[in-house]
Amino acid sequence: MRFANVFVALAATTLMLVGCASQKEPAEKAVAQAESSLAEFRADAEKYAADELAKVDESITRLKNSLANKDYSMVVKAAPSLSSTIASLKQSVAAKKADADAMMAAATAEWTDISAKVPQMVQAIQSRVDTLGKSRKLPANVDKATWETVKTDFETMKTEWTDATAQFASGQADAAVRKAREVKAKGDMILAKLGMTPA
Amino acid sequence: MSTENPYAQYHVVKKGDTLSKIAEEYYGDKMLYPKIFEANKDVLQDPNKIKPGQKLRIP
Repeated sequence: MRFANVFVALAATTLMLVGCASQKEPAEKAVAQAESSLAEFRADAEKYAADELAKVDESITRLKNSLANKDYSMVVKAAPSLSSTIASLKQSVAAKKADADAMMAAATAEWTDISAKVPQMVQAIQSRVDTLGKSRKLPANVDKATWETVKTDFETMKTEWTDATAQFASGQADAAVRKAREVKAKGDMILAKLGMTPA
Repeated sequence: MSTENPYAQYHVVKKGDTLSKIAEEYYGDKMLYPKIFEANKDVLQDPNKIKPGQKLRIP
Protein backbone atom coordinates (compact mmCIF):
# COMPACT_ATOMS: atom_id res chain seq x y z
CA MET A 1 0.00 0.00 0.00
CA ARG A 2 2.72 2.38 1.02
CA PHE A 3 4.66 1.40 -2.09
CA ALA A 4 1.61 2.30 -4.25
CA ASN A 5 1.31 5.76 -2.60
CA VAL A 6 4.99 6.48 -3.14
CA PHE A 7 4.69 5.33 -6.74
CA VAL A 8 1.70 7.64 -7.36
CA ALA A 9 3.49 10.57 -5.78
CA LEU A 10 6.60 9.92 -7.86
CA ALA A 11 4.56 9.59 -11.03
CA ALA A 12 2.71 12.85 -10.35
CA THR A 13 5.94 14.73 -9.70
CA THR A 14 7.50 13.31 -12.88
CA LEU A 15 4.48 14.29 -14.93
CA MET A 16 4.60 17.80 -13.50
CA LEU A 17 8.29 18.19 -14.25
CA VAL A 18 7.88 16.88 -17.80
CA GLY A 19 4.92 19.23 -18.33
CA CYS A 20 6.90 22.22 -17.12
CA ALA A 21 9.92 21.33 -19.22
CA SER A 22 7.74 20.94 -22.30
CA GLN A 23 6.49 24.52 -21.84
CA LYS A 24 9.97 25.97 -21.51
CA GLU A 25 10.64 26.19 -25.20
CA PRO A 26 7.26 27.76 -26.10
CA ALA A 27 7.72 30.28 -23.30
CA GLU A 28 11.20 31.24 -24.46
CA LYS A 29 9.97 31.50 -28.04
CA ALA A 30 7.05 33.67 -26.97
CA VAL A 31 9.32 36.17 -25.22
CA ALA A 32 11.78 36.19 -28.12
CA GLN A 33 8.93 36.74 -30.58
CA ALA A 34 7.55 39.64 -28.54
CA GLU A 35 10.96 41.33 -28.39
CA SER A 36 11.57 40.73 -32.08
CA SER A 37 8.18 42.16 -33.09
CA LEU A 38 8.73 45.25 -30.98
CA ALA A 39 12.26 45.79 -32.32
CA GLU A 40 10.83 46.26 -35.84
CA PHE A 41 9.19 49.53 -34.90
CA ARG A 42 10.80 50.51 -31.61
CA ALA A 43 12.41 53.68 -32.98
CA ASP A 44 9.08 55.00 -34.29
CA ALA A 45 7.32 53.90 -31.09
CA GLU A 46 9.82 55.92 -29.02
CA LYS A 47 9.01 58.97 -31.13
CA TYR A 48 5.25 58.69 -31.45
CA ALA A 49 4.02 56.51 -28.53
CA ALA A 50 6.64 56.56 -25.80
CA ASP A 51 4.21 55.98 -22.90
CA GLU A 52 2.53 53.02 -24.56
CA LEU A 53 5.94 51.58 -25.47
CA ALA A 54 7.03 51.84 -21.83
CA LYS A 55 3.99 49.78 -20.73
CA VAL A 56 4.77 47.07 -23.28
CA ASP A 57 8.39 47.01 -22.15
CA GLU A 58 7.20 46.52 -18.56
CA SER A 59 5.06 43.58 -19.65
CA ILE A 60 8.01 41.97 -21.44
CA THR A 61 10.19 42.48 -18.37
CA ARG A 62 7.59 40.71 -16.21
CA LEU A 63 7.50 37.80 -18.61
CA LYS A 64 11.28 37.56 -18.63
CA ASN A 65 11.23 37.49 -14.84
CA SER A 66 8.69 34.65 -14.96
CA LEU A 67 10.93 32.88 -17.45
CA ALA A 68 13.90 33.26 -15.11
CA ASN A 69 11.77 31.87 -12.27
CA LYS A 70 10.82 28.91 -14.51
CA ASP A 71 7.15 29.88 -14.39
CA TYR A 72 6.76 28.82 -18.02
CA SER A 73 3.01 28.23 -17.93
CA MET A 74 2.49 31.84 -16.84
CA VAL A 75 4.53 33.08 -19.78
CA VAL A 76 2.74 30.86 -22.26
CA LYS A 77 -0.63 31.98 -20.86
CA ALA A 78 0.24 35.71 -21.08
CA ALA A 79 1.91 35.57 -24.49
CA PRO A 80 -1.19 35.87 -26.73
CA SER A 81 -2.41 38.98 -24.92
CA LEU A 82 1.03 40.58 -25.14
CA SER A 83 1.24 39.74 -28.83
CA SER A 84 -2.11 41.43 -29.39
CA THR A 85 -0.99 44.52 -27.45
CA ILE A 86 2.18 44.77 -29.54
CA ALA A 87 0.16 44.46 -32.76
CA SER A 88 -2.18 47.27 -31.60
CA LEU A 89 0.78 49.45 -30.66
CA LYS A 90 2.32 48.87 -34.09
CA GLN A 91 -0.91 50.04 -35.77
CA SER A 92 -1.18 53.05 -33.49
CA VAL A 93 2.42 54.08 -34.16
CA ALA A 94 1.97 53.67 -37.92
CA ALA A 95 -1.12 55.89 -37.86
CA LYS A 96 0.60 58.59 -35.80
CA LYS A 97 3.65 58.47 -38.08
CA ALA A 98 1.44 58.85 -41.15
CA ASP A 99 -0.25 61.89 -39.58
CA ALA A 100 3.11 63.43 -38.68
CA ASP A 101 4.46 62.83 -42.19
CA ALA A 102 1.36 64.42 -43.74
CA MET A 103 1.71 67.46 -41.48
CA MET A 104 5.38 67.77 -42.37
CA ALA A 105 4.57 67.58 -46.08
CA ALA A 106 1.93 70.30 -45.74
CA ALA A 107 4.26 72.50 -43.71
CA THR A 108 7.05 72.02 -46.24
CA ALA A 109 4.75 72.94 -49.13
CA GLU A 110 3.59 76.09 -47.35
CA TRP A 111 7.16 76.97 -46.45
CA THR A 112 8.22 76.58 -50.07
CA ASP A 113 5.52 79.05 -51.10
CA ILE A 114 6.19 81.63 -48.38
CA SER A 115 9.98 81.38 -48.67
CA ALA A 116 9.69 82.35 -52.32
CA LYS A 117 7.54 85.38 -51.52
CA VAL A 118 9.09 86.89 -48.41
CA PRO A 119 12.54 87.60 -49.89
CA GLN A 120 10.86 89.37 -52.80
CA MET A 121 8.79 91.37 -50.33
CA VAL A 122 11.91 92.30 -48.40
CA GLN A 123 13.67 93.37 -51.59
CA ALA A 124 10.80 95.64 -52.67
CA ILE A 125 10.44 97.20 -49.21
CA GLN A 126 14.20 97.62 -48.76
CA SER A 127 14.44 99.50 -52.04
CA ARG A 128 11.66 101.88 -51.05
CA VAL A 129 12.94 102.39 -47.52
CA ASP A 130 16.42 103.16 -48.86
CA THR A 131 15.01 105.70 -51.33
CA LEU A 132 12.73 107.39 -48.82
CA GLY A 133 15.68 107.57 -46.44
CA LYS A 134 17.35 109.87 -48.99
CA SER A 135 14.24 111.94 -49.67
CA ARG A 136 14.07 115.54 -48.48
CA LYS A 137 10.52 114.97 -47.38
CA LEU A 138 8.07 112.09 -47.22
CA PRO A 139 5.49 111.38 -49.91
CA ALA A 140 1.97 112.66 -49.24
CA ASN A 141 0.65 109.21 -48.31
CA VAL A 142 3.26 108.57 -45.58
CA ASP A 143 3.36 110.69 -42.43
CA LYS A 144 6.31 110.82 -40.04
CA ALA A 145 4.79 108.47 -37.43
CA THR A 146 4.01 105.89 -40.12
CA TRP A 147 7.54 106.22 -41.50
CA GLU A 148 9.10 105.56 -38.08
CA THR A 149 6.81 102.56 -37.53
CA VAL A 150 7.66 101.20 -40.97
CA LYS A 151 11.39 101.37 -40.31
CA THR A 152 11.09 99.61 -36.94
CA ASP A 153 8.68 96.98 -38.22
CA PHE A 154 10.86 96.30 -41.24
CA GLU A 155 13.90 95.56 -39.08
CA THR A 156 11.79 93.25 -36.94
CA MET A 157 10.49 91.56 -40.07
CA LYS A 158 14.00 90.85 -41.33
CA THR A 159 15.12 89.47 -37.95
CA GLU A 160 12.07 87.25 -37.65
CA TRP A 161 12.60 85.97 -41.19
CA THR A 162 16.15 84.95 -40.29
CA ASP A 163 14.78 83.13 -37.22
CA ALA A 164 12.11 81.34 -39.29
CA THR A 165 14.69 80.23 -41.84
CA ALA A 166 16.92 78.84 -39.09
CA GLN A 167 13.97 77.02 -37.54
CA PHE A 168 13.10 75.37 -40.84
CA ALA A 169 16.71 74.37 -41.43
CA SER A 170 16.80 72.70 -38.02
CA GLY A 171 13.74 70.59 -38.79
CA GLN A 172 11.13 72.65 -36.92
CA ALA A 173 8.89 72.96 -39.96
CA ASP A 174 5.65 73.70 -38.07
CA ALA A 175 7.18 76.44 -35.95
CA ALA A 176 8.98 77.89 -38.98
CA VAL A 177 5.77 78.08 -40.99
CA ARG A 178 3.89 79.75 -38.13
CA LYS A 179 6.59 82.40 -37.87
CA ALA A 180 6.78 82.74 -41.65
CA ARG A 181 3.04 83.51 -41.80
CA GLU A 182 3.54 86.27 -39.21
CA VAL A 183 6.49 87.66 -41.16
CA LYS A 184 4.51 87.75 -44.39
CA ALA A 185 1.58 89.42 -42.66
CA LYS A 186 3.95 92.06 -41.30
CA GLY A 187 5.34 92.56 -44.80
CA ASP A 188 1.85 93.01 -46.22
CA MET A 189 1.17 95.63 -43.55
CA ILE A 190 4.39 97.51 -44.32
CA LEU A 191 3.65 97.48 -48.04
CA ALA A 192 0.18 98.87 -47.35
CA LYS A 193 1.60 101.65 -45.14
CA LEU A 194 4.02 102.63 -47.89
CA GLY A 195 1.23 102.66 -50.45
CA MET A 196 2.84 99.78 -52.32
CA THR A 197 -0.09 97.38 -52.29
CA PRO A 198 -1.37 96.68 -55.81
CA ALA A 199 -4.67 98.43 -56.55
CA MET B 1 13.50 86.43 -69.48
CA SER B 2 13.57 88.56 -66.34
CA THR B 3 11.65 87.51 -63.27
CA GLU B 4 9.43 90.34 -62.10
CA ASN B 5 9.14 90.92 -58.39
CA PRO B 6 5.40 90.61 -57.63
CA TYR B 7 5.77 93.19 -54.85
CA ALA B 8 7.39 95.81 -57.03
CA GLN B 9 5.32 98.93 -57.57
CA TYR B 10 4.49 100.24 -61.02
CA HIS B 11 3.17 103.49 -62.40
CA VAL B 12 1.41 103.79 -65.73
CA VAL B 13 2.38 107.09 -67.28
CA LYS B 14 -0.51 109.54 -67.81
CA LYS B 15 -0.59 112.59 -70.04
CA GLY B 16 1.35 115.40 -68.39
CA ASP B 17 3.50 113.12 -66.24
CA THR B 18 7.19 113.71 -65.92
CA LEU B 19 9.73 111.62 -64.02
CA SER B 20 10.08 114.50 -61.55
CA LYS B 21 6.33 114.56 -60.88
CA ILE B 22 6.30 110.79 -60.48
CA ALA B 23 9.25 110.98 -58.07
CA GLU B 24 7.43 113.67 -56.08
CA GLU B 25 4.33 111.44 -55.87
CA TYR B 26 6.09 108.27 -54.72
CA TYR B 27 9.12 109.65 -52.88
CA GLY B 28 8.08 113.15 -51.81
CA ASP B 29 11.16 114.46 -53.59
CA LYS B 30 11.27 115.25 -57.33
CA MET B 31 15.08 115.28 -57.26
CA LEU B 32 15.03 111.50 -56.82
CA TYR B 33 13.76 111.02 -60.42
CA PRO B 34 17.10 109.41 -61.50
CA LYS B 35 16.16 106.40 -59.35
CA ILE B 36 13.09 105.84 -61.53
CA PHE B 37 15.06 106.40 -64.72
CA GLU B 38 17.78 103.92 -63.67
CA ALA B 39 15.17 101.28 -62.82
CA ASN B 40 13.54 101.63 -66.25
CA LYS B 41 16.45 101.92 -68.66
CA ASP B 42 15.00 98.98 -70.58
CA VAL B 43 12.08 101.21 -71.66
CA LEU B 44 13.48 104.73 -71.28
CA GLN B 45 16.40 106.17 -73.20
CA ASP B 46 15.93 109.78 -72.08
CA PRO B 47 14.62 110.80 -68.61
CA ASN B 48 12.82 113.75 -70.23
CA LYS B 49 10.94 111.59 -72.69
CA ILE B 50 8.21 109.43 -71.25
CA LYS B 51 5.00 108.49 -72.99
CA PRO B 52 1.45 107.92 -71.70
CA GLY B 53 0.78 104.24 -71.26
CA GLN B 54 4.35 103.31 -70.40
CA LYS B 55 4.54 101.09 -67.33
CA LEU B 56 7.38 102.21 -65.11
CA ARG B 57 8.77 100.34 -62.13
CA ILE B 58 8.99 102.49 -59.02
CA PRO B 59 11.83 101.11 -56.92
